[in-house]
Amino acid sequence: MEEYDVPSAASILASVKEQEARFERLTRALEEERRNVSLQLERGSLPSDRLVGGTTGGSNQPLAWQQMVMQEQSPSNQTSLAMMQEPQEVVEETVTIEEDPGTPTSHVSVVTSDDGTTRRTETKDNVTNMKVTKMVKTVTTRTVRQVPLGPDGLPLPEGSSPLGSYTDSIDRRYMKNGERFITPQATSTLTRSYNNYSDSYNDAPDSQFRHYTLHDGYGDMADNYGSLSRGVNYRPYRPYMPTGGYRPENSYTLPIRKDDYGHVAQPQVPMGSSTMDLNRSQPERFQPEPYGLEDDRRSLGPDDEEPYDLEPDYSTANRRTLPGRTIREPLRNGPRMRGYEDPIETELIDERHPYIHGMYPAPLAQPERGSLASLDRMGGRRSPSIDSIRKDPRWRDPDLPEVIAMLGHPIDPVKSNAAAYLQHLCYENDKIKKDVRQLKGIPVLVGLLDHPKAEVHRKACGALRNISYGKDHDNKVAIKSCDGIPALIRLLRKTNDMEVRELITGTLWNLSSYEPLKMVIINHGLQTMTNEVIIPHSGWEHEPNEDSKPRDAEWTTVFKNTSGCLRNVSSDGAEARRRLRECEGLVDALLHALQSAVGKKDMDNKSVENCVCVMRNLSYHVHKEIPGAEKFQDPSALQGPGSAGTQRKKKDDAGCFGGKKAKEEWFNQGRKNGEHDKNYDTLDLPKRTEPTKGFELLYQPEVVRLYLSLLTESQNFNTLEAAAGALQNLSAGQWTWSNYIRATVRKEKGLPILVELLRSDSDKVVRAVAIALRNLSIDRRNKDLIGSYAMRDLVSNLPSGQQRPAKNLEEDTVVAILNTIHEIIIESSENARSLITAQAIDKLVAINRTSQSARETKAASHVLQTVWSYKELRNALTKDGWNKTHFQPIPTGTPKGSRSCKPGYDDTTLPLMEKNQGNRGCSGGDMIPMGELGPDGYSTIDQRDKESKYKSSDGSSDLQEREPLKNDTNRKHYIRSNRPTVSLVDACDVKPQPVDSWV
Amino acid sequence: QQRIEIHKLRDGDNLILGFSIGGGIDQDPSQNPFSEDKTDKGIYVTRVSKGGPAEVAGLRMGDKIMQVNGWDMTMVTHDQARKKLTKKNEDVVRLLVTRKSLENAVRQSMMQH
Repeated sequence: MEEYDVPSAASILASVKEQEARFERLTRALEEERRNVSLQLERGSLPSDRLVGGTTGGSNQPLAWQQMVMQEQSPSNQTSLAMMQEPQEVVEETVTIEEDPGTPTSHVSVVTSDDGTTRRTETKDNVTNMKVTKMVKTVTTRTVRQVPLGPDGLPLPEGSSPLGSYTDSIDRRYMKNGERFITPQATSTLTRSYNNYSDSYNDAPDSQFRHYTLHDGYGDMADNYGSLSRGVNYRPYRPYMPTGGYRPENSYTLPIRKDDYGHVAQPQVPMGSSTMDLNRSQPERFQPEPYGLEDDRRSLGPDDEEPYDLEPDYSTANRRTLPGRTIREPLRNGPRMRGYEDPIETELIDERHPYIHGMYPAPLAQPERGSLASLDRMGGRRSPSIDSIRKDPRWRDPDLPEVIAMLGHPIDPVKSNAAAYLQHLCYENDKIKKDVRQLKGIPVLVGLLDHPKAEVHRKACGALRNISYGKDHDNKVAIKSCDGIPALIRLLRKTNDMEVRELITGTLWNLSSYEPLKMVIINHGLQTMTNEVIIPHSGWEHEPNEDSKPRDAEWTTVFKNTSGCLRNVSSDGAEARRRLRECEGLVDALLHALQSAVGKKDMDNKSVENCVCVMRNLSYHVHKEIPGAEKFQDPSALQGPGSAGTQRKKKDDAGCFGGKKAKEEWFNQGRKNGEHDKNYDTLDLPKRTEPTKGFELLYQPEVVRLYLSLLTESQNFNTLEAAAGALQNLSAGQWTWSNYIRATVRKEKGLPILVELLRSDSDKVVRAVAIALRNLSIDRRNKDLIGSYAMRDLVSNLPSGQQRPAKNLEEDTVVAILNTIHEIIIESSENARSLITAQAIDKLVAINRTSQSARETKAASHVLQTVWSYKELRNALTKDGWNKTHFQPIPTGTPKGSRSCKPGYDDTTLPLMEKNQGNRGCSGGDMIPMGELGPDGYSTIDQRDKESKYKSSDGSSDLQEREPLKNDTNRKHYIRSNRPTVSLVDACDVKPQPVDSWV
Repeated sequence: QQRIEIHKLRDGDNLILGFSIGGGIDQDPSQNPFSEDKTDKGIYVTRVSKGGPAEVAGLRMGDKIMQVNGWDMTMVTHDQARKKLTKKNEDVVRLLVTRKSLENAVRQSMMQH
């Protein structure tokens, strides 16, 4: 690089004055030329040519400059429309600027048509409108950003000339944002149109550069410029200098302006763009944040959509516009590029490699996403760069190694812009993420998390969030390997910036979807996340002030992300559950949040879903895992006729399964014994002297009402499934509390609510409810009630022979329903009779004989055998035309199984299909305990339940959580729901959908 | 619409119909080359093996399968459709299919009348 020394203040001043003088001249000239310009605009091609040529047309340039000057000088001029037509590429930008110095509101519509394509970006800026900002950003992108008038105290230029107006309007918008810098962007756009004025550029460039560099090495910059200008012949920047009073720091920003000007005058000038970038550093004011962040966020949080939408427009706009404007210029002009590099890079260069495309700095530097967007395209799927290249051969985006190197740039704004750019590049681009990882960019980003400047750690965090999103677990591991998780947690503790917190928690949520990282997150961040986010946002207070009424939960993004993260980690296993249960305040806060949701009837959001899923997961195996659970175990079980006693019988049953007689007798006895259950109804809940807290809250009968409220009110299938799953978990097991829970569900009139949900359109809801009903029917009273009232709905969910089934339920669901039916009719000939009345025998026989699923066949077979075991029912059955053979296990049972399996494998050629089936097979294996009604199955009812719970709870939670961001998740989730293991999930993810199958 | 009855060909343990299907509600309908409406998630015949039972029975590539043995195929997943077609215990599959050319013919005749 050339040595760029910071020019002395004096020299800067001198140049500024020089420029000011020019400015005045130019201004006058501008006025005159405006008219000419308008004419020229139509000619568009000519000006662009000039620009392209890189040669300066003296006359033109002056004009441009003049215009530029005008803008600057006249701060508040109202709208000017600049139509710029560039040669080859036609870019029309119409900007209407309403200039109210103070008011940001301006309407800007930019229409760029490249090669016949026209894109319109319409921003209606109400002063604070997001759109406006976005628009601005776009514009900025093209130009390099500059802007910053504010620092100098220079008012935003108010464009008297069209160009000027551009800037002005833009500035205003920015202003709205609270940043004066905005203006620069506007300028940039202007630049395009002004390309014609390349001449002016030549002069200006030097000055501008200087300004830019003022701090650092203005002089150098200037030099470079000179060189650049040679190449390009544009030295427009000086004129911009007008403000003269650029402060070094400001200088960055100032430069931007200059750039803008320069751009305006010389669209091609790369220098300007570079400067712009520098300016961007200041951009903090701009804070494009929303854009960058959005990317992945979306994936994370469905809520954030804006980024997406914006991006496309931006990108397109940027591409097209940019090329014409600054960006193009830089690219086009090799020299400029250098110039850019020099000024900006001088610094950069030192450290990094000389990317020498000086351009980099600029793009990176630009905080705005719009600019980034253009870059992104390069990296991304879109080929923005390509586009721009076509248009402008000179243009080149920084490549990935360069961007990553920029992360280490000494200048903070460059760092933050590089990080923001990375975030952009990584958005939905797995390839780039992988490349960043392989280029060792992740440790650098993690290192930036501890950077004192908010802008830097914010952008770094944004990039990490995007990188952490997706199926590529290596990226997640890479973040973890360089201690990214503790760094994130540290930052979470440290920062109060809501946006940063959203980014941190979003990243953690992404990381939490990978099994091996779950305990790491728990170890480093559980208490911090609970204390910093969950508790405060849940509204729960350790020691509620009696005077004040309880606070409601706030469904913030931070809370949503954090609860999503906890939801994922809560599925990691017994140890994870233990840690979460024992995390102080966590259960209390989650419960409070859910109660608040119920109170406000606001139960369909993602945060509630996450909370319920955590609760469900923590409820899993409470009866085994809670400290001191033993105390509650057997006694109650013994008392409970439904529970322990029944189980034993079942076990025995299993033993004697072969002998039907014995079996039948057992059943009958069981039934008789069942009558004793009534006691349960009168069970007294234990009285407590102290308020319950912590994990004890999980299984207090009070939670039943909460879950039932959710089941009644929520429209969110995941929430419904989780609430039903929680009841399923709590009603499993043989301990005192599950007895209470089962009775409480009945007393709270929960059974009708659950039965109602059997009609749900959601497969997983039906499944969770069916299994919950099965557990609940351990209570004798419940069994009778369920047999009477739920049988019809259970049966209607079963597929029937040649009739089209009401719903196409998954195998697991069908099996769950069959098992529930089986549970209900055991020891209850009454319930078996209702089963017959519900005309289930047809369906059961059909399933038994024709189902493709071995598990379905087996489950149906068990039900049929049980039905036949009631001698008192045989008469009725015979009258209906059934005989014993219909109820016997089909001798070909085994063959059947093979049959069912074979068809899939043999007939399906597609690997994918097989995969799916294979998966199912696996899950089936897991499920076996549940599915198998065989003796073992019986004896281990609890286990089955547990397993089922396990699967549904943990498995599902994992799945859902994993890809919280993606919409697809649900589907995958759905499929995987039964699987306990993560690996299964992955398989699902991978599952390519069968395109076509041979039959 | 047209009814087609295919007698499966036994090949060892396998029963072969001799065609392949694409589509289903879990598939991306826009990739279906045969559908007129690119949001149609129905099951389509994507390939028919030469001389196979399906071809013999008159099934054509691009046919949309409306029903299999009376089961609706317009709102099923790919896998569900496949299963319905590949039941081991059924030697005959009755399809209700709709064919573009048929539809066009019908439409034209309607127009004429």
